[in-house]
Amino acid sequence: MQTPVTIPVPVLRLPRGPDGFSRGFAPDGRRAPLRPEVPEIQECPIAQESLEFQEQRARAALRERYLRSLLAMVGRQVSFTLHEGVRVAAHFGATDLDVVNFYVSQLQTPIGVQAEALLRCSDIISYTFKP
Amino acid sequence: MAMRQTPLTCSGHTRPVVDLAFSGITPYGYFLISACKDGKPMLRQGDTGDWIGTFLGHKGAVWGATLNKDATKAATAAADFTAKVWDAVSGDELMTLAHKHIVKTVDFTQDSNSLLTGGQDKLLRIYDLNKPEAEPKEISGHTSGIKKALWCSEDKQILSADDKTVRLWDHATMTEVKSLNFNMSVSSMEYIPEGEILVITYGRSIAFHSAVSLDPIKSFEAPATINSASLHPEKEFLVAGGEDFKLYKYDYNSGEELESYKGHFGPIHCVRFSPDGELYASGSEDGTLRLWQTVVGKTYGLWKCVLPEEDSGELAKPKIGFPETTEEEIEEIASENSDCIYPSAPDVKA
Repeated sequence: MQTPVTIPVPVLRLPRGPDGFSRGFAPDGRRAPLRPEVPEIQECPIAQESLEFQEQRARAALRERYLRSLLAMVGRQVSFTLHEGVRVAAHFGATDLDVVNFYVSQLQTPIGVQAEALLRCSDIISYTFKP
Repeated sequence: MAMRQTPLTCSGHTRPVVDLAFSGITPYGYFLISACKDGKPMLRQGDTGDWIGTFLGHKGAVWGATLNKDATKAATAAADFTAKVWDAVSGDELMTLAHKHIVKTVDFTQDSNSLLTGGQDKLLRIYDLNKPEAEPKEISGHTSGIKKALWCSEDKQILSADDKTVRLWDHATMTEVKSLNFNMSVSSMEYIPEGEILVITYGRSIAFHSAVSLDPIKSFEAPATINSASLHPEKEFLVAGGEDFKLYKYDYNSGEELESYKGHFGPIHCVRFSPDGELYASGSEDGTLRLWQTVVGKTYGLWKCVLPEEDSGELAKPKIGFPETTEEEIEEIASENSDCIYPSAPDVKA
């Protein structure tokens, strides 16, 4: 008894996924004419600049603090809280440029110790360490 | 030669996809929004699954997502105790509506002037989107967290489902009209305006009720626990998916199981037909959305019907120069895709 031979339906290509660096909604996309008009900024430009400048300085300071905290973590034992109530501990190695992944070693998991591992930042809820 | 369904997998989410919704048919086609536990709902072109953009702003899992009819606005319900309304063209956040607990469901009225929300605080809320700072109207009565709330009967009534009941409310008087009790947890609800049909899933049952009277019409039993089901716009088929990772397609009139499809690597949480009925989308615990053809082998979207050559055992290359193109180019994919899409022998394993 032979089962009938079936051919999978051909496709032109696979659906496109996120570009990985922006949130999308291309300004030159198909629906661009529907985009709401951005209202002109009416405030005094000098006062506006000073506020923006201050905000940018604050952002830079906070980022520098965060990057220094990452440096301080290198080689230390860090405890990560992940989704679904999972807690793991590991020695912190490094992060990548956009802090998307954490490179760790000696990751203690419920199913054993992993010598080297990459933890996705999106999986981490919080982490803590003692300097 | 019989054709086998080729599902189109839309990747991008990193956690389970728990809800999805299509817009109506707009001059730009139709669109699809997916709600994900990663907190980043995505907008996609409905007929191809191409990613358009990600709505960034929620600080918790997004449990519900919807689009208005012309896909100019999106609304999302999240575990960060807020519902948000977005501009679906630019991706910008338009308003944040604070709640007292996890919000699970959102629905626009036909004119997009009001938004209905429901969640774990057991209250239905109606927001006037032209006056977002005004307090919403509240309807209480549910005794467990609300899982789904929908406008019906031309926005004159509201249907809401909690764990074991489905209730019908009158919008003008904000009072309960009727309710249905179930002895199993209600997993999903869909409202079909044409014909006023309500599709409810609970346990392994897929039940159809009148949306006006809540009287039962018919129901089918599936082989496994079903989490979501959708009725085709022309009411010829229904599709359902659940805990056994499979999608089932039934004939609505006879109840006969027509097809079942494997493909997802986790339980299916949501299934919906597109507004033109040509495809249906499924969202799963495995973090993907898949698009499936209603009529397998038909040329539509990214699926291209090709008739094989008569003599050779090989498959014909797809014809380039597809008449109904979108603005994207059609690459020559014959060689590129032949490895994964066209098996050279029938017994090649997937």
